[in-house]
Amino acid sequence: MPIRVHDVVNHDASLVSRKAWSDPHLYELEKRGIFGHAWLFLAHTSQLPNLGDFVQAYMCETPIIVTHGNDGNIHALINSCSHRGLPVCRADRGNAKSFVCPYHNWNYSVEGSLQAIPQEQHLEGRTDRSLLGLKRVPRVEQWNGMIFGSFDEEIEPLDDYLGDMRWYLDAFFGRFPKGIEFIGSPQRWVIDANWKLPVENQLGDVNHGPFLHAAVIPPEANAEVFELGRSVVTAPGHGATFRLMPEGAPLEQVAWGFEGMASLLAPEVHDYLREVQARAIESVGPLRSRMKGLTYGVFPNLSFLWSNTAFKVSHPRGPGKVEYWSWSVVPADAPDAFKRILRGNHTAFFGPGGILEQEDSEAWTQQRIGSEIDFADDRPYYYGLGLNEEKPDPELPGLVGVTANEFYARNFFLRWRDALAAVEDEA
Amino acid sequence: MSTTLASPERQYEIEQWYYREARMLDGRQYQSWLALCHPEIRYVIPGRGNPQVPNRERGKEDMISIERELEGVDSDGLPIRDETMAYLMLRVERSFKANAWSENPPARTRRIVGNIEILGEDDAGALSVWSAFHLHYARPGSASFLYAGQRRDVLAPGEQAGAYLLKNREVILDMAEVAYPTLGLFL
Repeated sequence: MPIRVHDVVNHDASLVSRKAWSDPHLYELEKRGIFGHAWLFLAHTSQLPNLGDFVQAYMCETPIIVTHGNDGNIHALINSCSHRGLPVCRADRGNAKSFVCPYHNWNYSVEGSLQAIPQEQHLEGRTDRSLLGLKRVPRVEQWNGMIFGSFDEEIEPLDDYLGDMRWYLDAFFGRFPKGIEFIGSPQRWVIDANWKLPVENQLGDVNHGPFLHAAVIPPEANAEVFELGRSVVTAPGHGATFRLMPEGAPLEQVAWGFEGMASLLAPEVHDYLREVQARAIESVGPLRSRMKGLTYGVFPNLSFLWSNTAFKVSHPRGPGKVEYWSWSVVPADAPDAFKRILRGNHTAFFGPGGILEQEDSEAWTQQRIGSEIDFADDRPYYYGLGLNEEKPDPELPGLVGVTANEFYARNFFLRWRDALAAVEDEA
Repeated sequence: MSTTLASPERQYEIEQWYYREARMLDGRQYQSWLALCHPEIRYVIPGRGNPQVPNRERGKEDMISIERELEGVDSDGLPIRDETMAYLMLRVERSFKANAWSENPPARTRRIVGNIEILGEDDAGALSVWSAFHLHYARPGSASFLYAGQRRDVLAPGEQAGAYLLKNREVILDMAEVAYPTLGLFL
């Protein structure tokens, strides 16, 4: 008998079974119930400035090519030939006139339509090519340059799906006159961990910082998080954490970019960062100008690390493996030399070689081991910290709590449970 | 940079430098290793991707050059690591704390450095040295891993005669995907 979803997460999600992190049947339900019905992050428009530009992406385990078509539109295509299934694109990114399958040279346009079947010149019949294009991701939408795709044709519009997360994301994007851009390729690494733990880590778990990362994060930085930190859930599965700095705090205490060492080592960018913050009251308003972000999460597997400026996607590779992608994000209007300096705030601390994130990879791997042990099924993981302590706020959209309150994770698992329950009795 | 062959004495001197460095790193003597680094060191691991193979370059070695795959510090791409002495000091300081959890218990490493080739010397006496390494990595409770790569170093003359300091290191890793526990090692 496969495990039942309602036996995995209890009524208020204060208890979550170890099986949620390790069971192959639940993983198959996650694919259908969550990844089949969500908006999944694919790419940013700054990666695809020209007609014919493409980048590779994943939707769960399915390989996707995201293209800037010659029609000017963004397309998301499954990277698998309609003839024998080989990938038609092997490069991570680039600019293409067409995609050609190596096996028999079936040729596809960058918009995904099948243009040529070379074997046909030796045959009498003609195949209906209109039915044999690359399989399209049925829904592709953008918000503020962020490109998402969904396998669910009936899914709500992306704007509605993001909801109030747009307000929180804009608190960052809106600070820069030309918004943000993604720099280079994402860092990609494989971790022997379940995909949900990196997600949970960024969704609201800034509280692990003073403990897991005590070797590197100074106590005063942790004190600021305890004192001024807010955790917000705008809708189950979405969340944001940030510090709400006091009115009148000095610019460099609030400004983005001063936290990483890159700016300490590069005084020439200080004036730029201060100017960005000085404009923030005007660009994002008085309340959001005081926000000093930490981590964000968009259901199911997109994260935004404001403090060290990365977008991250946790791509599942089975119940016990994840391919983690992390893009460095910089202000689009900054001079190139500043961008190269500011990307260092990400690379030195995060990614597969990051001083901080190597500890996270370790924790996530060890949690997987804990989730696979025997004779402990009667000890589900405890998610009850701060139960019902979160409240609405007169100024901030969503429910708001202190960062030690695990309501962000409870809300994630309530949405997770319902999404899986909806498909568990499907044939 | 000159292109003349290094003298046997110079070659021997530099090989000994690399063996000493490997002994310190595998012996977890990171503080001693830092003393081999120049105050202005740049320590870099470029990102390594899978670019399009340019058809117009077909027939030429450049078509499939390693350089095309790298996102280094001078590119508009994203290196894996890009560090100065301050970062390296932070890493070394962290290594000797009990709560540096990804190294508690610490990894057991053993590296073989070879193919040490002195490619040239600039006017200030700094040597351009390329080498290759295989590094075996094991941590209690984890699997073992083999790291392979190339180092492209600049060794600057130190104050004492015959001493060299590591001024520049670019580590080209040969993995197809990053499936290692960490790239936070001193490679």
